[in-house]
Amino acid sequence: MQPVNLFALASQQADWLASRQAAIAGNIANVNTPGYKAVDVEPFKSVLEKKGVTLVATQKGHFGAMASQQSAGVPKLREDDRTTATLPSKNTVVMENELLKAGEVSRGFELNTAIVKAFHRMMLMSVKG
Amino acid sequence: MDALSAARQIAASGLAAQAERLRVVSENLANAQSTGSTPGSDPYQRKTISFAAELDRASGGSRVTVTKIDRDPSAYPIEYAPGHQAADENGYVKMPNVNVLIEMADMSEANRSYEANLQVVKQAREMIAMTIDLMRGQ
Repeated sequence: MQPVNLFALASQQADWLASRQAAIAGNIANVNTPGYKAVDVEPFKSVLEKKGVTLVATQKGHFGAMASQQSAGVPKLREDDRTTATLPSKNTVVMENELLKAGEVSRGFELNTAIVKAFHRMMLMSVKG
Repeated sequence: MDALSAARQIAASGLAAQAERLRVVSENLANAQSTGSTPGSDPYQRKTISFAAELDRASGGSRVTVTKIDRDPSAYPIEYAPGHQAADENGYVKMPNVNVLIEMADMSEANRSYEANLQVVKQAREMIAMTIDLMRGQ
């Protein structure tokens, strides 16, 4: 049953990467918004280690949207605490870091789909004989 | 709504906001020399734009919206031009409070932010295409 577990794992990582992309999109869109705090998702490792998902509101008013996402198994958003110097506008988005993260997400997603393709091919080989 | 479509929508709101900002900058630059027409009247007043993050219930992310396009209340610089149509009794004309250098810097920043948002849209689109590609037979 090993390949079946791999597909579930790859699907979980694809979900995590998509959530991260959404978080990065929010950061980049709000790069000029005063008072906006950059967000990021928790690392994939902690998503795998977690058995039960707890609801924590990181931003006021986020609870409604987060609740439905939590039940679907999507990792929660946390405030990105890796900030550099704070601007007078209290905006904590660093454009360069966001673009680097976006590149990481893109490469991770390519690897993910490549692995799924390869294993799907192997499964078909074993089925067809 | 799934996360990748949400990412695209959030980036689209970023594109719209930066385009709006560019519009305000171009208005300011075009009217950098626009004085009033009657003696002692006020010239063109510089416009400013404000953004705010808005939580979007459907996608669960923060999109950016333009809250308002306001006027810059700073003082007007004064030039001495006695023959001008807007010159007051002492010959001084009030010029618009637009600093061209500030507007140019704002424009290049709006450009950079626009490109970054565009990159996010492209990337989300590529990721969706890769996922659909999985279904393609070998």
